[in-house]
Amino acid sequence: MNEQNTVKLPLTKDRVRNLKIGDIVYLDGEIVITAGLPTFKRIADFIKNGEQLPIDLNNAALLHLVSYNREINGKFEILYLNPTTSTRFNDYMPTIIKTFHLCAVGGKGGLGMESVKAMREAGCVYLSFLGAGSPFLSLSIREVMSVSWNDLIAQYRLVKLRVEGLGPAIVSIDSHGNSLYENVMLNAEKNFTRIIDNLNPKIRRLEDVRLRNSP
Amino acid sequence: MSITYDLIKSTSKELYERSLKSVPEDTIEALQKSLATETNEIAKENLKMMLKSVKTAEQGGCFLCADSGIPQYLVKMGTRLSIEGDIKKAITDGFDELVKTINPPILEHVTNPLTLERSYKGKDVPIVDFDLIYDADYMELICSPKGLGSGQWADLHIFSFPPLETIEQYIMECVMRAGSQHCPPVIIGIGIGGTFDYAAKMAKEALLRPLGTQNPDPFLAQMEERLLKNVNETGIGAMGTGGDTTALAVHINYSAGHGFTPVAVCFNCWINRRMSAKVFNDGSIEYF
Repeated sequence: MNEQNTVKLPLTKDRVRNLKIGDIVYLDGEIVITAGLPTFKRIADFIKNGEQLPIDLNNAALLHLVSYNREINGKFEILYLNPTTSTRFNDYMPTIIKTFHLCAVGGKGGLGMESVKAMREAGCVYLSFLGAGSPFLSLSIREVMSVSWNDLIAQYRLVKLRVEGLGPAIVSIDSHGNSLYENVMLNAEKNFTRIIDNLNPKIRRLEDVRLRNSP
Repeated sequence: MSITYDLIKSTSKELYERSLKSVPEDTIEALQKSLATETNEIAKENLKMMLKSVKTAEQGGCFLCADSGIPQYLVKMGTRLSIEGDIKKAITDGFDELVKTINPPILEHVTNPLTLERSYKGKDVPIVDFDLIYDADYMELICSPKGLGSGQWADLHIFSFPPLETIEQYIMECVMRAGSQHCPPVIIGIGIGGTFDYAAKMAKEALLRPLGTQNPDPFLAQMEERLLKNVNETGIGAMGTGGDTTALAVHINYSAGHGFTPVAVCFNCWINRRMSAKVFNDGSIEYF
């Protein structure tokens, strides 16, 4: 691990603004994680009703990480964690980022442009973890602080834990409106047009072919 | 001698555990090859992390991914096979046993599609398909659990008398739609022709073909090469943050059909979950 790349959580807004896409970091400190669509719906409902969440999310790092957590003798332990697809939560994230001025979000695959805008407003970065990086990512778990909403299955619960050296994490969306994913897909679209033209110059996009953009 | 219920149960359980904790050798080699030629710095980091993850999982006996997937098996039965007991029940009981005993334990991913409730059990789960191998005295058990990350991007479309270019364009559109989301570099399985259900089956079987093997049909071999080049020219790259390798392989199966032509496209993420074993009449097992 390169210690120069270690960032302490919560990130100060100055530190957030200094991070740029392509930076690789390791996280030290407290994170809140969940991988549940019902969880994000519940957070959104709490915001709407002005209710207080069981975990304070103000300025927090809220990451789309799955965890296997269980209670043994009244104490929670986490056996492993791993990122999940963030775009599944596109509908909920912009409001959550803005409401709590989150300092970091993350998972894998990035977030939509509404979230990119919200992150610019709030001063927040998106961190990408390796899908199927569980073996080394899980080594960073140090302490389970709290597990809330235990009525939900393990991976949906809202879990607060302390990590040391969680990473490598790639800054893929920065707090200035830049998204590595958007750049990659814009470039891919240009390449796609050229590739399709080369398949057969006479064939153009057919109306009966579904063209759906990735979220 | 006969293959027993107990042997099928323990082998199907063992295959599942292997698929969660290890990556097929051919896939590790393909990732190493990609790293050797990769020009994008972030993609290099992602590929290095992948190889590190494989090694750490191997040393620590841990899962690569927290998503243990939906259990799915393909059973190819030799026609000279002798079996005692219910194969489907043996595989179902093998999964139940896995849930009870595997270390670390797996999460609840089996989902009722009508209520979205999740547990370790569900109607028709594990999903088991059967096929025949003529004149063999063994059965092949293939375990390929499918997670959400890559599973949700499979697609099927039915065309009417499509020119080949239309089929290839559609495949490229599926690749673009999956974009950065399916944990690339992926393996792409394609089924062309037949019927709605058969095209999907062919695509799935194409995924199971070992990497580095040549399609025996020269026409398809060329098409695979062309598509792989095109997919990688998108520049989506490892984990979708840009790079030279979006797919490790494109595998195609086809069958004759009517003028309506189904095209099915499916993906395996970089850990390429597929583990197989031959179980012989004499009770011996060969993992491959």
